[in-house]
Amino acid sequence: MSMKHQTPLLDELEKGPFPSFVKEIKRAAEHSDYAQDLLGLLELSYKEKVTHWKHGGIVGVRGYGAGVIGRYSDVPDQFPGVAHFHTVRVNQPSGFFYTTKALREICDIWDKYGSGLTNMHGSTGDIILLGTKTENLEPIFAELSSRDWDLGGSGSAVRTPSCCLGAARCEWANIDTMSITNEITQHYQDEMHRPAFPYKFKFKVAGCAVDCIASIARADMSIIGTWRGDIQIDQNEVKNYAQSGMDIQKEIVDMCPTECISWDGSELKINNEDCNRCMHCIAKMTKALRPGSEKGATILLGSKAPIVTGALMSWVIVPFMKMEPPYDELFDLVDRIWEWWDEHGKNRERVGELIERLSFTRFLKDVGLDPQPAMVKEPRRDPFFFWSEEDVAK
Amino acid sequence: MEKDELKKIIYELVEKSMGKKKLKQSDILKKVSADHGVDKSEVKAALRELMDAGELIFTYFGGSFVEIPPKE
Amino acid sequence: MSELPQRQTDIGPPHYEQFLPPVIKKNYGKWKYHEQLGPGHMVHVAESGDKVWTVRVASPRLLSTDTIKDICDIADAHCDGHLRFTTRNNIEFMVDDESKVEPLMKELTEKGFMIGGIGPRISNVVHTQGWVHCHSAATDASGLVKALMDDLGEYFTTKSLPNRVRLAVACCVNMCGAVHCSDIALVGVHKTPPRIEHEKIKNLCEIPSTIASCPTSAISPDPQKKSVKIKIEKCMYCGNCYSVCPAMPIADPKNDGIAIVIGGKVSNLRSNPKFSKLAVPWLPNTPPRWTETVAAVRKILETYAAGAKKHERVGEWVERIGWEKFFKVTGLEFTLQHVDDFTFARETWRMAATFKW
Repeated sequence: MSMKHQTPLLDELEKGPFPSFVKEIKRAAEHSDYAQDLLGLLELSYKEKVTHWKHGGIVGVRGYGAGVIGRYSDVPDQFPGVAHFHTVRVNQPSGFFYTTKALREICDIWDKYGSGLTNMHGSTGDIILLGTKTENLEPIFAELSSRDWDLGGSGSAVRTPSCCLGAARCEWANIDTMSITNEITQHYQDEMHRPAFPYKFKFKVAGCAVDCIASIARADMSIIGTWRGDIQIDQNEVKNYAQSGMDIQKEIVDMCPTECISWDGSELKINNEDCNRCMHCIAKMTKALRPGSEKGATILLGSKAPIVTGALMSWVIVPFMKMEPPYDELFDLVDRIWEWWDEHGKNRERVGELIERLSFTRFLKDVGLDPQPAMVKEPRRDPFFFWSEEDVAK
Repeated sequence: MEKDELKKIIYELVEKSMGKKKLKQSDILKKVSADHGVDKSEVKAALRELMDAGELIFTYFGGSFVEIPPKE
Repeated sequence: MSELPQRQTDIGPPHYEQFLPPVIKKNYGKWKYHEQLGPGHMVHVAESGDKVWTVRVASPRLLSTDTIKDICDIADAHCDGHLRFTTRNNIEFMVDDESKVEPLMKELTEKGFMIGGIGPRISNVVHTQGWVHCHSAATDASGLVKALMDDLGEYFTTKSLPNRVRLAVACCVNMCGAVHCSDIALVGVHKTPPRIEHEKIKNLCEIPSTIASCPTSAISPDPQKKSVKIKIEKCMYCGNCYSVCPAMPIADPKNDGIAIVIGGKVSNLRSNPKFSKLAVPWLPNTPPRWTETVAAVRKILETYAAGAKKHERVGEWVERIGWEKFFKVTGLEFTLQHVDDFTFARETWRMAATFKW
């Protein structure tokens, strides 16, 4: 099929070494009217330097309030193929592993009912099927769900949880991230598909403090694997690193933030009591050092992007939690947090913002968590603190 | 309370607030539960039946709300 | 149309276990160590002695089903029908025998895939939808990434840096990408306040929630017009009002542009996770190649590569040399916009007499 629209600006982005998204849209345009008109619309945006998509609308599949993002063009007459261009979010399997059979199946459904364009994956983690008409939504959902795929979260709901690949291929995984993520997803299906919260709630699960899933920056609840006990050292492998040219003093000892490592040229010593488990030494000497053996997770809460009152990173609310199925302790904590958020949160207020507004102390008290030094960088600087009734002499 | 009666109460609540204030699912659960002394889980089950039947739908506008579907 | 199959609800995603390559499934949770073998391949070794070799390639994230099927063909030919994607949207092919690595890499190279992204270099760029699919995009995202990576591709495929450099692009300040905690990131910004479409606002928007959406309380009711008004001097162009009220469009092609933020990280290695901070407040939106923006990123990256110690991330390097020196060595201009006047402003002012000339 020849291209319907001239796209001189976009054609420029077919050149160069990095894989081209324009080539991708053109490939889809060989058999998709959506993709043909998407090229035209996008070229117009490149020319005018403005988006041509309108606000979302009321579309979805029956009974769900999530998983479909309504999208309409503001120039439908010019580009009828993308007059409706709704997104379908398909919940990815934990860890983003696939068989080719499963991927081909999704592709075939999408070629039949949509634009043939995808994102592998969206920012939150879903498989994004990019662009279809309202009347195709139910057929797509029937085709997908009958093959065991379900939709992800959107709106004021639990968003599709995601994780690093953890135990599947990483020696640093202190927790089984893929299992935990799958269990959270299955446990909260109703909260994902039928939005009931003040705003979105994201879970991300990282196996260690390297945090390849960016949980500390991008999840309302960040679950980060950690350990208690001593870092395991293989002194022979340490020597091998030294012999193969690593400057252990400079690259490991001097870069340890807590100065808890020493190296005398033959033995590496770690004062584990002072270690804060940052992962630098382990990540640089992967053959020689391994996390300690008592594994669990640190639970942090509250991160979000800058809208509206500035970006937040998650902060510690539970320093150490054992993470073993059926994860009752975690679910119980989550339920208490949600109840509190539901009681006090305003529309579009993330849980981290609510804690900022009402105070962390109030959160700890209401949710029933005991204060611990691990929750703060430093104690307060000001002398303005509250006491309760029982603290005061009558 | 009979489920059908509960469904009627929920539907009327949504109908009355259309055009004035958009209701979130949690607004409905709280209000109906408080006004009629029924457990939130019962209200939720009734609301879900209304949703599954397409009598009420979720909408999104900078937040998710429960509304009556637009008449075509 | 043929009859549709029976739909199911609330079944969740398929269980991950069925998608794992056999060597991964067998050694799940029993990995011992890994080694980087090159810019785009590595080996993981299990307690059992089993090994899995991984080859990583770049992806534009926006993929046609045709390309996904091509990728599947490669995985069928070399990897027994298994593959995965990374959290940064790279594609990873895994094999269980060393002899399978070279033929795999050969075919990937022949088919034009860019192998790389592992270790102390640039990995795939996390980014948002941009003009391809978003109503609030101040710029495109896929195009910016393409322009950036065409220029910096050698830092993905071959050249190494002091440590990994995580790039991200967000097409507006909603930042659906990980821009606020990336080494170097681009964000589409507005420079002018929203316009109020008084005649539309009545039907499209709830006045109270529109007013409540403003983080600086710049929006107040306008009872005469049954609409709202904006105190212009309070507006910092975040566009949050537009998110709840479509009758307040903020896009302004003449003034929308790109800001560059740097020095963020999410890992805890050595130093705590850090937010990105403003390096360049505004560059013109110049599709299709965004030459000014690409040049500024290259400048920052090369200054970092020349000045940082081994293992230092961009943010760690800047903190060691000081921000005042960062502006000096990069030659970037320091402006009024760099001085914080928002929520966390006070924490950013220099309350010490120590700084470098």
